Amino acid sequence: MGMSTFLTFLKIEGKLVWKGIDILIFGICFPIILATLFGYVLSNDEVAGASNFDLSYAAVITIGVLATGVMGVPLTIADYRHQGILKRFQVTPVSPFQILFAQGLIQLSSALVSFIGVTLVYYLLFNYELKGSWAIFLMTYTLVIIAMYSIGIFIGSLVPDQKSANIWSSVAYFTMLLFSGATIPYETMPRFFQYIMDILPLSHGIHLLKQASTGESLTDGLFHIVILALCIVIGLCGAIKFFKWK
Amino acid sequence: MILTVKNLSVTYGTKKAVDNISFSIKRGEVIGILGANGAGKSSTIAAVLGIEKSNYEELTMIGKSPILHRKEVFQEVGVQFQETNFQDKLTVRDACEQWESLYKQTADVPFLLQTFGLVGKETQLVKSLSGGERQRLAVLLALISNPKLVFLDELTTGLDTRARRMLWKQLLAMKEKGLAIVLTSHYMDEVEALCNEILILKEGKTVFHGTIQKAISASEKATLEDAYLHFTGEEEWV
Repeated sequence: MGMSTFLTFLKIEGKLVWKGIDILIFGICFPIILATLFGYVLSNDEVAGASNFDLSYAAVITIGVLATGVMGVPLTIADYRHQGILKRFQVTPVSPFQILFAQGLIQLSSALVSFIGVTLVYYLLFNYELKGSWAIFLMTYTLVIIAMYSIGIFIGSLVPDQKSANIWSSVAYFTMLLFSGATIPYETMPRFFQYIMDILPLSHGIHLLKQASTGESLTDGLFHIVILALCIVIGLCGAIKFFKWK
Repeated sequence: MILTVKNLSVTYGTKKAVDNISFSIKRGEVIGILGANGAGKSSTIAAVLGIEKSNYEELTMIGKSPILHRKEVFQEVGVQFQETNFQDKLTVRDACEQWESLYKQTADVPFLLQTFGLVGKETQLVKSLSGGERQRLAVLLALISNPKLVFLDELTTGLDTRARRMLWKQLLAMKEKGLAIVLTSHYMDEVEALCNEILILKEGKTVFHGTIQKAISASEKATLEDAYLHFTGEEEWV
């Protein structure tokens, strides 16, 4: 399958996903609304202080990535498997990688729309300003996106049915939404909880993003990067190796 | 040989769904796999395609293993499943475009749409087609890559007489040009119209393998339908 044929394939998958209402609600509206709420609360919270508000941008831009990568991707793949659509693809020359990659790119398009939406809300409504370098920040964001999507692709490839897809993607989504600092700031959690939060890959991504957004030098940067890189390697290799067609 | 299957077995738990089946076909040949529901027809096809785990001595299509060389093999082999599901929002045109994009070279799609009576339906959702139309679309998609070999699992179930005749005519024309076909069917008129050879299964085992004439003469019956019932042991029921 060459590049132009992959684009055709991508175009049709895109049409199918974008015709659905799920991606609009969960991929775009929900992350923007949530980000607006958190931004509003934190920017008015005297106790939390301005620094917590500044840090929150790095956290809320991961909500859209979580919703599409960790929920949207595995649920769509599991649905295709459940309906027997993957079984039909199995007897064509398409590789699992192409299906997963196409689905990932489509979901990513909505994550990027929500990223732009959240950024506009922060800049226009709350007068937020990124202190660090945009280039480094976007590179870090890309790494976080790839890591989260690898987790989603891994879940989608391995789950035997829709029920377990729902369970595993919800577990991954909600634990990371609540306990990695995406919504409730890491800094406000008790130390004990912070230890637990350190297990979640997104916590490391958000640490990196916070440091990049404030322009601090990346303390423990390498450690966080290694954790995210491990997610990518294990997630993608596992997905290709254990991919289930039916 | 376009397809060679030697001593293929499929086991579910302790039950042998397919028991030591062997057959092969050449260019331009059609083999019909017959048997009652649950006799192992679909399991055989799934195992031959590499979808179902199986044990075998030999399994090659276009000279290659469909399991080890999946991509190369299915570049030249088309498949129509008994039940074909499509994504909810897919239109007929999307379905064709999607399937076309998977192959290096493809057939003339407008011509296929014409032959399969789907002209004017391009913008309709696949879900909104009638059962017969969806079935014809599934066969069309199986043929979209100009395959050398095609698997058709119950190809005309749910089709009206005219649509069946139309499909037979098209398949016979393609057979003339060298297309090899493996099909399953419950209709003996269809089998007689299309097949060179038949394989009758009963509880996963081959109870007859050979030409239609041989089936009739070996069973000492007058028609293929009676011969079929004789081999499957169902004649005492009718």
